[in-house]
Amino acid sequence: MARKTTAKSSKTGAARKAPRATAKRSAKSATKRTPARAAKRPAKKATTAKGKKIKVDPITLQVIGGALHTAAREMGHVLYRMSFSSIIRESEDLGAGLFDADYQTLSESDSTPLHIGSIPGYLRGMAKTLEDGEWCEDDVVIHNHPYYGASHSPDIAVAIPIFWEGKLVGFSANTAHHIDIGAATPGLIIDIPDVFAEGMLFAGIKLYKKGVRNEGLWHFLQYNSRTAKMLMDDIEAQVASARLGVERYKDLIRQYGYDTFKAACDELMDYTERMMRQEIRKIPNGTYRADGWMDDDGRNRGVRLPIKVAVTIKDDSVSVDLTGSSDQVPTGFNVPFDGSTKVAVYCAFRSLLLDQALAEVYIPSNEGSFRPIEIIAPLGSIFNPKFPAAAEARFTQCNRVIDCILKALAPVIPTKVIAGSSASLSFISYAGLKPSGDYWVFLEVNEGSYGARATKDGPDSIDNLMCNTRNNPLEDLGMHLPMVCDRYELRDDVMPGAGRMRGGIGVVKSQRVLTAGVITHENDRHTDVPWGAFGGHEGAVGKVLRYNTERPDSIEEMPAKVSGIGIDANDVISFYGPCGGGYGDPLERPAEQVLDDVLDDFCTIDHANKAYGVVVSKNLKLDVKATDKRRAQMRRTSKIAAA
Amino acid sequence: MARIGVDVGGTFTDLVLEKGPRDVYVHKVPSTPEDQSIGVVRGIREICEIGKVRPKDVDLIVHGTTVATNITLEHNGSEVGMLTSRGFRDILHIARHKRPFNFSLQFDAPWQSLPLVKRRNRISISERVMPPTGEIETPLNEQEVRDACKLFAERGVEAVIICFMFSFLNPKNELAAKKIVQKELPNVFLSTSCEVIDVIREYERFSTTAMNAYVGPKTSTYIRNLDKMLKADGISAELRIMQSNGGVATVDMASERPVTILMSGPAGGVIGGRWAGGLSKEKNLITVDIGGTSADISTIPNGEIRIMNPRDTYVGDYPVLAPMIDLTTIGAGGGSIAFIDQGGAFRVGPKSAGADPGPACYSRGGTEPTVTDAQVALGRLDVDKFLGGDMTIDPELSVKVIADRIAKPLGMSVKDAALGIIKVINSNMALAIRSNSVARGFDPRKFALMPFGGAGPLHGVALAKEVSAKEVIVPPAPGINAAIGLLETDMQYEFTRSAPLILAGATTKDFERINTALGKLEKLCRERLSADGIAKSKQKLTRIAECRYHGQGFELRADLPVGKLSAKNKDVVIDNFHKQHQLDYGYTFGSDQVEIMTLRVIGIASVEPLTWPKLKKAPAGAAKTKALKAAFMYSRKTTFDDGKTVETPRYDRGMLMAGHEISGPAIILQHNSTTLIPPGYRARVSDFGNIHIKNV
Repeated sequence: MARKTTAKSSKTGAARKAPRATAKRSAKSATKRTPARAAKRPAKKATTAKGKKIKVDPITLQVIGGALHTAAREMGHVLYRMSFSSIIRESEDLGAGLFDADYQTLSESDSTPLHIGSIPGYLRGMAKTLEDGEWCEDDVVIHNHPYYGASHSPDIAVAIPIFWEGKLVGFSANTAHHIDIGAATPGLIIDIPDVFAEGMLFAGIKLYKKGVRNEGLWHFLQYNSRTAKMLMDDIEAQVASARLGVERYKDLIRQYGYDTFKAACDELMDYTERMMRQEIRKIPNGTYRADGWMDDDGRNRGVRLPIKVAVTIKDDSVSVDLTGSSDQVPTGFNVPFDGSTKVAVYCAFRSLLLDQALAEVYIPSNEGSFRPIEIIAPLGSIFNPKFPAAAEARFTQCNRVIDCILKALAPVIPTKVIAGSSASLSFISYAGLKPSGDYWVFLEVNEGSYGARATKDGPDSIDNLMCNTRNNPLEDLGMHLPMVCDRYELRDDVMPGAGRMRGGIGVVKSQRVLTAGVITHENDRHTDVPWGAFGGHEGAVGKVLRYNTERPDSIEEMPAKVSGIGIDANDVISFYGPCGGGYGDPLERPAEQVLDDVLDDFCTIDHANKAYGVVVSKNLKLDVKATDKRRAQMRRTSKIAAA
Repeated sequence: MARIGVDVGGTFTDLVLEKGPRDVYVHKVPSTPEDQSIGVVRGIREICEIGKVRPKDVDLIVHGTTVATNITLEHNGSEVGMLTSRGFRDILHIARHKRPFNFSLQFDAPWQSLPLVKRRNRISISERVMPPTGEIETPLNEQEVRDACKLFAERGVEAVIICFMFSFLNPKNELAAKKIVQKELPNVFLSTSCEVIDVIREYERFSTTAMNAYVGPKTSTYIRNLDKMLKADGISAELRIMQSNGGVATVDMASERPVTILMSGPAGGVIGGRWAGGLSKEKNLITVDIGGTSADISTIPNGEIRIMNPRDTYVGDYPVLAPMIDLTTIGAGGGSIAFIDQGGAFRVGPKSAGADPGPACYSRGGTEPTVTDAQVALGRLDVDKFLGGDMTIDPELSVKVIADRIAKPLGMSVKDAALGIIKVINSNMALAIRSNSVARGFDPRKFALMPFGGAGPLHGVALAKEVSAKEVIVPPAPGINAAIGLLETDMQYEFTRSAPLILAGATTKDFERINTALGKLEKLCRERLSADGIAKSKQKLTRIAECRYHGQGFELRADLPVGKLSAKNKDVVIDNFHKQHQLDYGYTFGSDQVEIMTLRVIGIASVEPLTWPKLKKAPAGAAKTKALKAAFMYSRKTTFDDGKTVETPRYDRGMLMAGHEISGPAIILQHNSTTLIPPGYRARVSDFGNIHIKNV
């Protein structure tokens, strides 16, 4: 099946030898796995020396599961509390976790979804490119190569192999988004020729070799980023976090013995896999399709890029085929397969089928949830680009894949899916030179909004789908950087998708720079409107405006993606986030609820009338009679239209 | 000097009366959830009768209340109106734009679906303060404020908050708006963000202010009303309210800033724990307060109750930046339900059977096995001695539900299933203990674990073993430890001021600015304490600089040196900060980067410690054994964590004397609390009646 070229990075990147024997004495297991297929199979089970399978009692299992989760959360906590750049400390654009020697996820911090699903890819990439060719005790490895498993190059991973009695038994690792790794433009990049314009690429290189600091590498870092000190201090925070994980991991082995610990880890993954398969089985077998468009690649304006998703359910397994989606593009608007495409699909099914808000119990976030899922993207497509294509600006496409998976499955699981969300990302970098001649760089993640759900409105102005960062406090921003925010509230220029449940309302955020600088904006969804579900109306697209406070009337509408363009002092960039689609017939929304929306300015009097058939007087009173009449008339009209 | 501590819990209102030195009485009355003050007043009246104290002779009443907390849980607070900066109407709606779950489509964002202030009542006002200097770019539009007041009056809002951007840099516009609102709406509960919590970060400051107003009208009405009822009852004592930070506040103070009493309930327990530790001169304590549905855990190193980093403090899903004791609460208690989930995993809690129907053995219709049922099935809770015999329970029901729900489906015996329930709940609690101790840089091996609350002493030894605590100390009255803590609470007021300064390059002028700000904060503390009638000599001030490395987002606390801060002693602050950073994260960065963010002054006036009667000393030699025999009640078969079932003696705690030692297996009984001493452990009774349990 040639089409199923999934993640053979060894074919795409420069060939490298696999690492030698992994550790001082043994640990062959680490060398065995190569990421040839995206679908996971269980690793071999823990056995005793005599090869007898160990059965862990359910109580010990629960205890070890809880300890693994707590450890991962502690790691995330140390990382964001200690770090300096606002994208880590305020936005918490990071992930941390513990892994077994086969790179399988045992536990994850509760940070941002894209990070925490991606670390196994990094570990496999490290194994392929590892400096010295072997993992050694007290090594600390960093890695960000998108053709060796990285999610994208600014997300640098720090990993420490964990040894027990001389044997490699697992990994403690984390990833964090760094604000500048010396790419073509400060902060973010889009319109670049290839992966080498993304900045420093680390492939399996050691920050510490057997506990000894690799001073040469730190020296190198000092001269290769616009914000070198921050980069280095934040990497220190990552090291502290990973070391904490090593301690916790060893504590568990010490307490329970390696065989029991390993058996428990295997069983915890099997448990999560069972839960996932059980939910997949509830969906009727078949292939379900949906598609959408991306605005452009950031260089070729007006050339839309198709996204095609085919979800095939077969009993308790699912495959997602992205064949038919756009070919890879000549800019950085491509998606690394291992570190991002796959993670997006995992995220879709975890959110859809193991919804944390609905689960009565905590289902461990581990490798088990990935195993039933296969992902197919042809090599050379936007979701599996060929080396050396740039692939840094990849988030928006990932979120659209999730949105399309939900849309595809809507006919068969109508109450589980949600209407169209913003399903994009607004990631913007502001940068400039300080009077001292040093750079300042600020990265901002702007929020999206959710599509309406079967029983609830879509949440407003909130990070969407695979994105889950925190905003940067405006007061913190104003104190540190030559920037000030002029407006941060819900959009009032458009209405969200009407429905029995309404879509979420997008944000408007107007950031003013006080001195001249340069911006790059990774964004999409200026043309393709979020879809309405089951009679709900579609939402609204996003937009970006630019004006100067000295000349507030000359407003320029900007493309979704801009790369390294200069901006003047007192220029304002106003981001308007897309609004989610509605769910169900708007005429079924109780009139009192529509009145409440009008009172709260979530809905205008005019929109209440036109979309909902609810008549509200100028003094904000509900006209019940007029409403009944108008709704009856609207129902007749729609019946005629349907006929 | 007669003093009363009164702590309101879900089921009981606990009281302690100290009539004089070593003359202490305890009492319990049923709580009255519809209006807590009814139970409080009744309890006070009754304990006065028990202690033969005339109501007018009571000098001080300290009250731990859940009134404010319950408003947040039940979400039935006041209708609040908000004045906020133009362009920023939705700071409370957008929050930190982060979802509560990573993997969920059907989640709820409570700050949007259940807002503290409805959007219709959030009115934008033209005004603007500019960073980083605090210069006023747009003065307050007074007419807009008056128009908003008119609207609020029409809508009948009960509380108004004023939250402007950058007011921590310059409060002028907020205070100007306050004056107008005071005039236009003299009867509303009014709060400004710069007065409730003067710190950087708009969402957290606004949310704290909104919470203050949301719980404000009801809470202040409750407190003032209780004060009146007591006065009417002939009790002229000063009423003091327990705050979340472990200090007490006056009626006025708690009424103005009820946001400071949201954790009033559990705070008393932690202080009671410290007090009981003090009876045995133990300063390193981990307190574990186990109730019916939840357990509150706190680590007290070297006798110091720790306050949470104010950036980490939430009440429900809403950030509330009020000083709170660093407590970890988990859904694990006697009522926690054990079940097998869809994937076949064995779970205990956080769902709880509560007080109604309660555990199956209560015979009130509970059909799911709880932790209490497991204890009953293992023979650890004596049927006829439950709540001192006040309540009878049916052990058959415990065995039946464990058999039906757990043992049969998992193919294990009832005994193993019951042991499993205990093991899982203990493990959950141990993880929470670790997150409050190890994760904060404290090594439990240097700490004594102090279990209390009715169910605490049943779990104490198992928890200590799991977290490797050095020993267990069971306080004299585990069931009313929180009420005792109320009488041990200092008068305490805190004031903060945002004052960013990188210490390395600080000039004389910078230090002047800091010293002036500190002077103002000290003055505020002293004024409050003096108003409470505390002599100046008894007022103690602690001065803290909340610091970070320049560019970090989180501050840690560093003590300030005595006297004025200057270029000479600034290194003391820097060193104190490095030490704290090393303790929390195991790493330090360069000294040149240390930056003060917030100044905090805490004014404390110590109260006289509660004097607890000494136990009679056990006689020496054979008489000692005889005295212990007198405390022996009977023995019954009891199953311990190692799975062994052995004949286990019961002792009456009231009959034990100082110096008595009891080897496990044994159980010590007292009204509403049971202490479990497993085989291999030995208990020793201290001079003041603490029970110390150690591995032999």
